[in-house]
Amino acid sequence: MAPHASQLKSATKTVHVRNLVRRFAAKTILDGVDLDIEEGQFVALLGRSGSGKSTFLKALAGLDHDVEGTGTLDTPENLSVVFQDARLLPWRTVIQNVTLGLPGAAGQEAGRKALAEVGLEGREAAWPNQLSGGEQQRVALARSLVRQPSLLLADEPFGALDALTRLKMHDLLRELCARHRPAVLLVTHDVDEAISLADRILVLDEGRLIEDLRVDLPAPRDHGDPRFASIRTQLLSRLGVETPGRRAA
Amino acid sequence: MATIWDAVEVKTPRQSSRETIHTVPSVARPGVSRRRRRLGPGPAIPFGLQIGPALLVLLWVTGSALGWIDPRILSAPWTVVEAFGRLIEQGRLQDNFVTSATRALLGLGIGLVIGTVLAVIAGLSRIGEALIDGPVQIKRAIPTLALIPLLILWFGIGEGMKVTTIALAVIIPIYIHTHNALRGIDSRYVELAETLGMSQKDFILQVVLPGALPGFLLGLRFAVTLCWVSLVVVEQINATSGLGYMIDLARNYGQTDVILVGLVVYVLLGLVSDGLVRLLERRVLSWRRTLAN
Repeated sequence: MAPHASQLKSATKTVHVRNLVRRFAAKTILDGVDLDIEEGQFVALLGRSGSGKSTFLKALAGLDHDVEGTGTLDTPENLSVVFQDARLLPWRTVIQNVTLGLPGAAGQEAGRKALAEVGLEGREAAWPNQLSGGEQQRVALARSLVRQPSLLLADEPFGALDALTRLKMHDLLRELCARHRPAVLLVTHDVDEAISLADRILVLDEGRLIEDLRVDLPAPRDHGDPRFASIRTQLLSRLGVETPGRRAA
Repeated sequence: MATIWDAVEVKTPRQSSRETIHTVPSVARPGVSRRRRRLGPGPAIPFGLQIGPALLVLLWVTGSALGWIDPRILSAPWTVVEAFGRLIEQGRLQDNFVTSATRALLGLGIGLVIGTVLAVIAGLSRIGEALIDGPVQIKRAIPTLALIPLLILWFGIGEGMKVTTIALAVIIPIYIHTHNALRGIDSRYVELAETLGMSQKDFILQVVLPGALPGFLLGLRFAVTLCWVSLVVVEQINATSGLGYMIDLARNYGQTDVILVGLVVYVLLGLVSDGLVRLLERRVLSWRRTLAN
């Protein structure tokens, strides 16, 4: 199996996962996950709570220190994580948060540019507490961007935002990804969010990937599009939610 | 707003049928609503904190003026003011003050450094915690006063013993609060530092120390108070100079006015140093102020 697996991993694969198993005590959270993500591909991972989404993301980010497990896991060195909470250090200014751990004047300049890209030019000296939830999450995006990651891991990054802010953040994320082309794994419980952003949607259930769906809809995706609605129905049924008839309009 | 409040009250089922008759007019006239009895303390009184001390001073002044207070028990305020002037004129107050302040600051400084270093070592490594935390907790259980005989045997009755006693007292609150704050740093920030690939040095300078700063400053406030308290203790045992010695000497001669001068200086020192630490707190923790407004 091992030589075969290494042949499969071509140069364009950013993430390469084979037979990934993770256990907490006696409970198996991830039960043999296989996944390849190509360079620049935008992947959304759906799943009910307790399906193992967060465990999988933590494993990819290398943050599961005391978790038992086996399997092959290949991720690039320069990966970035966006958490559900913006996770800004409250005692550091916005620009200091963006450039955390980056050395010198070059880091400062890159940080300023990244802030401008997320539309927060001029807020460099503000404290995180002075920003709204959406602005804080934009700072978190800038903090990820400035490191020019080849893989961006996002753990329900818009889950705590209100619906309008979330839509704006979708546009921003789409735009940033189009420009910087990192591979993205977006963990979410929001089916519409997954369909409107991703090239490919996975469904995780009881530690196994039970769905791998390509989304080939044209760029500004219309929620009213019948194809959008049919993908939604399909995904919802995989998630165990029965839709009352087809509400495509 | 008042009308909405009224409308809500109208619907409460507890209202008796007699009152329901008045329901309609009460909605029409805002402000006639029945208020609940207040259980909280209510708004603050202006200059509320100054009232208590001012009353005490007033009592002291009138008591002394009307001869209710025996001057051998408690000197009159004007006698104390006179003594103040006399002691300054003789240079005794300044000399003793400088001696005391030097001891206190030296002890505070040494204790501060040692306490902080110990807390950081214990907070950042399990081995450090295993080696340091236990002994510090044991030291904490021993009253500083009880250590003095041993310290006299070790260091004699000179300045070394006095500064060591103060430093040993100061280490405890600094260590306890800084260590506690270090342990309490949100693990989510540690996770963040890991994903950003921060170096150990950056992690300590950007995440750990600033995160523990509120705890350290709280410890500092306790430490400053404790440093004056220990000063009094060491200066009333085996001292030949300092404010405590001045007070002790005055006790021998029954000079309540000099004793009171010493106490007033202690009060001023305590209040001023606490104010300074709070000022420092406001400056260093300015990121927190945004939460309040």
